[in-house]
Amino acid sequence: MTRKKIILSVNGVRNEIEVEAKETLLETLRNRLDLTGAKLGCDQQVCGSCTVLMNDLPVSSCSVLAMDADGCEILTVEGLGAGGALHPIQQAFIEHGAFQCAYCTPGLILAVKYLLSRFPRPTEPQLRHYLAGNICRCGCHVEILQAVRSLARRAQENQL
Amino acid sequence: MGLNRFEYIEASSIPEASRFLADRPEEARIYAGGTSLLLLMKQRIARPAYLVNIKKIPGLRYIDKNDGTVRIGALTTHHDLEFSPLIRRWLPVISELEPEVANIRVRSTGTIGGNLGFAEPLTDLPPVLIAMDARIKVADESLERLLPLEHLFRGYYETSLRPQELITEIQVDLPAPFFGIKYLRFSMGSDKPLVGCAVGIRIDPESKLCVDARCVLGCVGPTPLRVREAEEALKGLPYRVNSSAKAARIAATACSPLTDLRATEEYKRAIVEVLMRRAVEEAFRRASSKLQG
Repeated sequence: MTRKKIILSVNGVRNEIEVEAKETLLETLRNRLDLTGAKLGCDQQVCGSCTVLMNDLPVSSCSVLAMDADGCEILTVEGLGAGGALHPIQQAFIEHGAFQCAYCTPGLILAVKYLLSRFPRPTEPQLRHYLAGNICRCGCHVEILQAVRSLARRAQENQL
Repeated sequence: MGLNRFEYIEASSIPEASRFLADRPEEARIYAGGTSLLLLMKQRIARPAYLVNIKKIPGLRYIDKNDGTVRIGALTTHHDLEFSPLIRRWLPVISELEPEVANIRVRSTGTIGGNLGFAEPLTDLPPVLIAMDARIKVADESLERLLPLEHLFRGYYETSLRPQELITEIQVDLPAPFFGIKYLRFSMGSDKPLVGCAVGIRIDPESKLCVDARCVLGCVGPTPLRVREAEEALKGLPYRVNSSAKAARIAATACSPLTDLRATEEYKRAIVEVLMRRAVEEAFRRASSKLQG
């Protein structure tokens, strides 16, 4: 069984971990680093509840081998916000009631983070398109879209 | 459910990867993104004893253009293609389709070489690339060869490559003047496509007649299907509603879709007919739009 020491920078903290070949990034984050924000959902890259950012791009951590993430920068929902303050995306989700059970929320927040980093003022089709891969089974999509629109509006106001 | 155990090999060069694959043709699989392979492994459909990760091999992730040919390194991701200014400028049909591929997470990790080499039938790039007469560069430990992409696909998840061969590059010649191409897909939400249809039309600028055509279907058979009879039905003619309808009927008959969870065979044939008709019309329009200016 292949075992290998990998270096994983998670939320700015460098970790040296020995992992097995069959270990997924999600398993490493949850079971070894106690970062349980990312959730196992469909296990087939459809639902988005395991979304984390790997070198600034969203990935399904359930379907990335930990060994393949060797040397990468990982951002999980635990890495958002600073000094006990919530990140503006988290704040917007609360203000707009963009969750019920919140199982999908950590993944969605990171999907939104990527979306706004690439398109600070996304058009409505962009917004819907880039979030279509994250499924909320409580059905909070309307509130989620409202939360993201409010962030886009704020980005616009700051620009003006 | 998690993954079964396997050994993980990180290849640092194509010859090294090829040697390993040659030694264990039945047990080793290439890992080049893993978006499809890991899924089949979780479902216990694929049970490789070895995964050979080729993603750490340097120099296989690029998009270049020279001498009228766009060259795409095999490890270029869908995300790279989606946002590449060079692709947008020279092969805009790919920029158009890429945002529709699965979801952003799959596009971040999935590679073009992995997409083609895995020969998954429900996928978008192959019909479009075949409609542009794309070639692939294939390498083993010591030799390289070029292969028309059309000749890669043999069956469901089956290619014509030898076990020790790897795709290293995809080549697409810049479209001829007065060539128009349109890809249309039908899917439910951000699911895999149910039907994909690529049509390329080259017209004569004087007569405005179609001098060459490519009609390629995806997802409605074990491999992408080039419908030559539909292509012949378009050649020598200007754009006409009844000739595009005829090509569409031919395509709907020629394909071999299966009834599955997504739709019935009859439904898929009906979709093929509609998409083919619309794609022919748009490909003609795009080919002729280059006449003005």
